[in-house]
Amino acid sequence: MNTTNAMNTPPSTLSPLIHLIDDDEAVRGALSLLISTVGLRVQTWADPQAFLTDFDRDSIGAIVLDVRMPGVSGFTLLQQLIAQGVDQPVIMLTGHGTIDMCRRAFKAGAAEFLEKPVNDDALLEALQNAVRQHVRSRERQQTNQLARERHAQLSAREREVLGLIINGLTNKEIGRALAVSPRTVETHRANLFAKLGAASLADLIRRYAAVAEADSA
Amino acid sequence: MWNSPRAQGWWILAWLAVSLPGVVWIGHNALEQLREAFETDARIVHRLLSQRAVQHDAILSMLALLQSSSDATRPEQRLPSVYPQILAVKRRDGGQAWDEPRFAAAERQSRQARRPVLAAADFAKARYWLVLAADTGYALQIDMRGLAPWSEWPMRPETSSVRVMLEYAGQRLVLQPGSIGSTGWRFDFAKHLATDSQPFDVVAVSQVGWSQLPWGWMLAWVALVAVLLAGVQGAHRQREARRRAEALLRLGKVARLNALGELAAGMAHEVNQPLAAVLANTQAAKRLLADTPPDIETAQSAMASAVQQAQRAAEVVGRLRRAVDAPEGATEIAAVDLHTALSRALYLLAPQLQACGVTPALQAAGAVNVLADPVALEQVIHNLLLNAMQALERVPRGERTLTLSLNAAAAQGALIVHDSGPGIAADVLPRLFDPFFTTRDGGLGLGLSLCETLATRMNGTLTAANHATRGAVFTLRLPLAEAVGTP
Repeated sequence: MNTTNAMNTPPSTLSPLIHLIDDDEAVRGALSLLISTVGLRVQTWADPQAFLTDFDRDSIGAIVLDVRMPGVSGFTLLQQLIAQGVDQPVIMLTGHGTIDMCRRAFKAGAAEFLEKPVNDDALLEALQNAVRQHVRSRERQQTNQLARERHAQLSAREREVLGLIINGLTNKEIGRALAVSPRTVETHRANLFAKLGAASLADLIRRYAAVAEADSA
Repeated sequence: MWNSPRAQGWWILAWLAVSLPGVVWIGHNALEQLREAFETDARIVHRLLSQRAVQHDAILSMLALLQSSSDATRPEQRLPSVYPQILAVKRRDGGQAWDEPRFAAAERQSRQARRPVLAAADFAKARYWLVLAADTGYALQIDMRGLAPWSEWPMRPETSSVRVMLEYAGQRLVLQPGSIGSTGWRFDFAKHLATDSQPFDVVAVSQVGWSQLPWGWMLAWVALVAVLLAGVQGAHRQREARRRAEALLRLGKVARLNALGELAAGMAHEVNQPLAAVLANTQAAKRLLADTPPDIETAQSAMASAVQQAQRAAEVVGRLRRAVDAPEGATEIAAVDLHTALSRALYLLAPQLQACGVTPALQAAGAVNVLADPVALEQVIHNLLLNAMQALERVPRGERTLTLSLNAAAAQGALIVHDSGPGIAADVLPRLFDPFFTTRDGGLGLGLSLCETLATRMNGTLTAANHATRGAVFTLRLPLAEAVGTP
């Protein structure tokens, strides 16, 4: 059961989406209104189980979770989200937070732990941080994806050469290692720079070191 | 208090283990005493009979010494009138022979042994002859029944349980029959008479029956052990009861604290939700109004929602109050003696009072019967005493005094608890009975508040003040039971 708040800004896939899970309708309404004042879209959920099955995992944004809910506790839900590889940051809210509970939340993978009633500045700042963090992590993910795709276009010999370049070998050393002439190495090198779209040696290493490492492993 | 049959069994076992050896010892001792008495009597009997026997030797020697053969008056014939046990005296003058051959044989033996010799012993007739050889031979016939000097006898011959006999060569003469039973313990005594001329054995036998054992003492001992053990058991049970009461009290405290914790957690959640909504709504409204242009419509609906949620919070608090407040008439008012209630509370707190080094001084004229709920009253007194002890712990040990007074005046019974603690600070006094107000670290601040609530519910009052000289005074007033019915 998901109810998109009426106060939400028009559905724009570019604007980040906050998932708010709380069993109390009044709290859901008030918090979603508050969150929407800073231009974030809010989707509210009364039932943790429904949220877990129905929510859009690809959306950019964050999850706000009440610790104390009937049925599934906030902690259990958090653990399930982490176990399923959900990458949206989770902000936990609780009525009476103890240090122990706070420690548990961070250990379980929460991005933030706030006490309820929550101050608007604290909540909104936490949300904006979380959204920024999520956007960055998605970007990084996309960059990696692109790198992997380009890397896949390299020939076997070119991959070998790339690995040796990243290990810091000169053309001469690479030629010796692969038993080819330095001129041939030069040709491979020019090809792989073009295929990978690297502007410089530094750019090449920054963007493809991890991919090449994973490939040779 | 109920005791398991197993524990009861151990007590009985202990009772048997202690009393049985005592009973055996008493019986053994009594038997030893009886045996000693018997042996003493038997020795006396032996001495008396020996004296008589020796006397016969002496008489014969005397007659032989006097050599009164020429005396025609025969003075020896007067002996039986002097000694009743001497039945007859025979005499053989010099040159003559004994009329009976057994006397002649005896005299021959006597001459060899140089002492009187037994000539003929007839135990069936209880008599014997004694012969001494000399120029003039003499023979004495002795009545054995006359041997016993009854006037000096150590026992009463008719009633004594001891049988006394003389034995010689298979013959037996009973001097004192005694009453010999078939069961019990048998004492024996046998000894030769202290003269060679009459080689009889003095034999004494006694039988001590079961009935002669000191049953009274044994029973007294068993009863004494039972009484002592019962005392120990009583003390043990009392200690146990007290320990349990204390444990229950602690348990009750913990239970109350747990309940309180649960209540606080539940209350926090119930109140927190609307509060969170109020806060979020008002903050959203604030932001909406600060926008350019301000979104007045949405802000208004947010404020309306905030008002609704504030009312919801108030309702939660109201519901909680109603749940906690006991319904009217739930307390069970009865006539209770303040003195008894105070004693019970003191009894339960005795270990703590002792640890605190406080001996409460009780000033009470007598019973003060008030109308109260016994459980609530005990709770109030308990809390007041605890409170006083906590105050006393803040002054040196030597300066700790606790005075408890009871009185009845103006239709009210009063319990006054006066401690010599630091007293109540002026700024604390007005808030003393407020819930959650405490001066103690870790205190809940509910003890005195609860006391006052309970006192009020029982139509009484609880007041606090500082004493004129030192410490704090708490006064609990409750309506007197006697005052009921009077308009």
